[in-house]
Amino acid sequence: MEAITIVLNGVPVSGFPGTSILDLARESGVYIPTLCYDENLVSVGACRLCLVEDERNGALLASCVAPISPGMVIKTNSPRVVEHRKKILKLLLASHPDTCLVCDKGNRCHLRKLAAEMGIGLVEYQKIPQPDVIEELNPFIERDLSKCVMCGKCIRADQELVVEGAIDYMNRGTAVRPATLNDVPLEKSECTFCGTCVAVCPTGAIMEKNRTYTGTAMTTVTTVCPYCGCGCTVLLGIKDGKIIYTRPAPTSPVNRGTLCARGSYGLDFVHSPDRLKSPLIKVDGRFKETTWEEALSVVADRFMQIKKADGADALGVFGASKCTNEENYLLQRFTRSVLGTNNIDNGSRLYNAASRVGLGTTLGYTGTTGSLETLERSSVIFVIGADPEISAPAISFAIKRAVKFKGAQLIVIDPRRTPLTQFAALWLRPRPGTDIALLNGLAKLIIDEKRMDEEYVTRMTDNFAAWAKSLSNYTLARVEDLTGIRVKDLQAAARLLAGAEEGSIVYGNGITQQPESAGAVIAIANLAMLTGNAGRRGGIFALERENNAHGACDMGALPDFLPGYQDLSDVQARKRLEERWHCSLSSRPGLTAMEMIQAAEAGVVKGMFIIGENPMVAFPQPSRVKEALSKLEFIVVADMFLTEMAGLASVVLPAASFAEKEGTFTNFAGIIQRVQKALEPVGISLPDSEIIMRLARASGSPMPFSSLQQVREEIERIVPFYHPAAAAHARTGDPDLSDVDDTMPGNRRLYHGLFPRGFGRFVPVEYTPIIDEKTNGHRFTLMVGSSRYRFGADGRSSRSARLKQFSPGDYLEISAVDAGGLGVNGVSRVKVVSAHGELLTYLKINDSLPRGLLYMPLSYSGGVYELFPAVLSAGTKAPALKTCAVRLERITEDGEAK
Amino acid sequence: MEKQNKAPAVNMKQVEKIITGYKGQKWALIPLAQEIQEKIGYIPPEAIPRIAGSLGLFPSQVQGVVSFYSQLYTHPRGRNIVSVCRGTACHVRGGKSILKLVKQHLGVDEGQTTEDMEYTLETVACLGVCALAPNMMINKDTHGNLNPKKISRIFGRNKKE
Ligand code: SF4
Ligand code: SF4
Ligand code: SF4
Ligand code: FES
Ligand code: FES
Repeated sequence: MEAITIVLNGVPVSGFPGTSILDLARESGVYIPTLCYDENLVSVGACRLCLVEDERNGALLASCVAPISPGMVIKTNSPRVVEHRKKILKLLLASHPDTCLVCDKGNRCHLRKLAAEMGIGLVEYQKIPQPDVIEELNPFIERDLSKCVMCGKCIRADQELVVEGAIDYMNRGTAVRPATLNDVPLEKSECTFCGTCVAVCPTGAIMEKNRTYTGTAMTTVTTVCPYCGCGCTVLLGIKDGKIIYTRPAPTSPVNRGTLCARGSYGLDFVHSPDRLKSPLIKVDGRFKETTWEEALSVVADRFMQIKKADGADALGVFGASKCTNEENYLLQRFTRSVLGTNNIDNGSRLYNAASRVGLGTTLGYTGTTGSLETLERSSVIFVIGADPEISAPAISFAIKRAVKFKGAQLIVIDPRRTPLTQFAALWLRPRPGTDIALLNGLAKLIIDEKRMDEEYVTRMTDNFAAWAKSLSNYTLARVEDLTGIRVKDLQAAARLLAGAEEGSIVYGNGITQQPESAGAVIAIANLAMLTGNAGRRGGIFALERENNAHGACDMGALPDFLPGYQDLSDVQARKRLEERWHCSLSSRPGLTAMEMIQAAEAGVVKGMFIIGENPMVAFPQPSRVKEALSKLEFIVVADMFLTEMAGLASVVLPAASFAEKEGTFTNFAGIIQRVQKALEPVGISLPDSEIIMRLARASGSPMPFSSLQQVREEIERIVPFYHPAAAAHARTGDPDLSDVDDTMPGNRRLYHGLFPRGFGRFVPVEYTPIIDEKTNGHRFTLMVGSSRYRFGADGRSSRSARLKQFSPGDYLEISAVDAGGLGVNGVSRVKVVSAHGELLTYLKINDSLPRGLLYMPLSYSGGVYELFPAVLSAGTKAPALKTCAVRLERITEDGEAK
Repeated sequence: MEKQNKAPAVNMKQVEKIITGYKGQKWALIPLAQEIQEKIGYIPPEAIPRIAGSLGLFPSQVQGVVSFYSQLYTHPRGRNIVSVCRGTACHVRGGKSILKLVKQHLGVDEGQTTEDMEYTLETVACLGVCALAPNMMINKDTHGNLNPKKISRIFGRNKKE
């Protein structure tokens, strides 16, 4: 492509054909005012404020849409341009109510800023305020469309970025405005309260509601959302030590100007009155406040006593998939070198152990293989057992953009209708738990129809023949029979995926929390390799629930791996660390999270340190977990809140929130992102890193770090893919680690498009039916998953005033047919009974559920896991938490079960 | 006074059938909307999500287009369209009271349709026969030099209080 040269304000500049005058001007540092332009949106040239003049012919051009052409002589500030711009702005202001002085948008109002810039006083246009606030009950967003200047940014953001389609223009002429379908309030529309439109609106027409703190932010801090594994970059507006608003970072490669409701409106937990402000110590069954010195010396003494009396393995540490990489690194170093045990695990055990095992055996590394850009440019996207719109919204946005604007074909495999199914070219609804049969069936079909990527399979993989043979009894007829999916649809899916130029497979907890989770992940990897889509083109995308699940594992907060997935049994690896840490390391693999609890029950583990996790909500059989933990001699909990878990502790250490500390989080795709401190910790709470270092000191083994930077330097030396060069490659999505020491085991990325072991390995997996207790009248299958407005174990989201207000309680979804059959309706209270436990909840009719399937969100303290058995799968040592067999009992007025 | 029209039940089957004919053709929104209006008389709001689903658009987008064209209606219209002029010439000669009278007679406001689906009341900017002001039009017939008596004669049987 030849560059085009134009003269801009007297200076020749050049750019590629297709570049807009505005983009070229911005690149060249020339300012042009804009109103309807946004870097992440398609330009429409609606406001014409960005006018420039072509001096050759006097043409006035909207620079945001006018492409450069050879010979242009552009003036951005000629008297004519200035005059026109002023006129336009005055026109806009003339139809704008002059309530600016009381408008909350205040200094963030772009319209007001432009008026000031051009020297147009607002008083000149004094008018009667015409409040037109739409009655809206939601606690997130309010609209006053009398302030709307019809730039269309909100509509474009809604349709082009988050692809929800909640709003569009309505009416014509002077009555035109952005509206929902049938002009209903947002909470009755498709709106998901992602807040993306609020962030782009240049006026006070769409604004954040119910802000606890108002005013103009003094500083803006760029950091990372602490909820899901997407790791969206957020801008926190800070005033007087409070977060007064949250905005998406427009330039982040992860979220590109978007957020979800949790990121936009759920970060107020930071200012919850429930925050712990000082250390607590239990005296005669009651907590009393104490100093750090006392709290930490008690903890250190008790841990050392237990270690002396019962051995280091009588101690266990559980935590930190929400904490930073530095904190996880320190925690595992403390556990291994000071406590002297490998009994350390983190909360991601419950949902990503299957990926570690499954992808580890096949690809040789442990996570997502590509970046969101790879996903978005895929021509076929295969989503199985995942509802990313709810669990990992930024990933869903990318998928929907690929479908809507880049012509990708979407295959959704889910028994439930999810927000993605309406975008799908193909939606298959397998019976729960039959994914392996389905995946094997598709693989066999692709081989039989000779649609596999022969070249890739030959050059990059091994064990193909043995694996292919293992598929022999996954015939179409049998797979149809097992999964309930028609042959025709199986064929269509296989052909689509195999025919993809670039195909990506996205999976989530529907895969990783089923009983045969590791097997299902292996089957996914097999299918990806067969179609040549593992790493080189397309990829495998494993959703992560918690923000730093990936990082916690990378840092070695695992019982069987040292930092960077170095094997515990590797003498060399241990020796390197022993020399650095001046200690001797145990080679005995530690206990996983659930095993620690079982060991507590058996009296083998006697003391535990739990950081930011709540096993009493997140684990199966919470009441049994509580009993087991109650047997411990000593529990220390570091948390922001006095959770159910903290209530059991002898000592509770107040932890700083994400907004009150420095560090890094690693997102689901392995991108390492900077967390920046925006606020001082509440009370005398401390970042977990500081807590761990002080505890090490109190235990007589101080760690040699005086800053987080030093911790980071040690991490970079020990974990090769945290080396800055590697991290930079991860960020650009270009997996080439040639300049890193690639003889180190456990590199996460594919380098040179190759697998870490040199080849990927096909591994046979067999489908085994779920043995469910459908006897005893447990005739429903209950499926458990995420919810949009509450998150994980709910510690934080239940303390976000707005999230809680909007989505107050737990519920159980049932199809209308099943509800009819039971004689219950949408307001009935029911008792849900499984072979393992029971709970009470309210029913909600969801007509898109197939008969016999129930759905319940996990993130309410309703204890849904009480229904699940505490059985661990052999490979992953994780419990199956996706489905279980239940029956329903109607509760009558007087509370009797019927 | 919120007068909701009791529209005759829409034959959604028929609507569905029309929609199916355009499946997957994003560009066909306007012809599709026109065809529905031609056959059903208007575009029932409940048809909008179906149209959207079939064409691969968002319902809000379809509503945006439908509400943009003044010739596309989302409410059922009466068998007769009454257009009272509110142009300047008519205004100075009492057009406003004429409108008020018509409203009284029909028992509906501007933009509404009588319960029996007989009349839809609209206003227009100027009918182009200012000499006869005040004017109104019923379907294709112009009625000029209006006065209360004439109005009563025209709508006599329909007077509602
Ligand atoms: S909040 Fe999000 S979903 Fe709702 S209208 Fe705005 S952009 Fe659309
Ligand atoms: S509401 Fe805001 S973003 Fe949307 S069109 Fe109006 S001014 Fe633009
Ligand atoms: S998608 Fe995830 S990381 Fe992004 S704002 Fe939502 S919860 Fe936060
Ligand atoms: S910014 Fe270019 S037309 Fe609005
Ligand atoms: S003003 Fe009424 S017809 Fe012209």
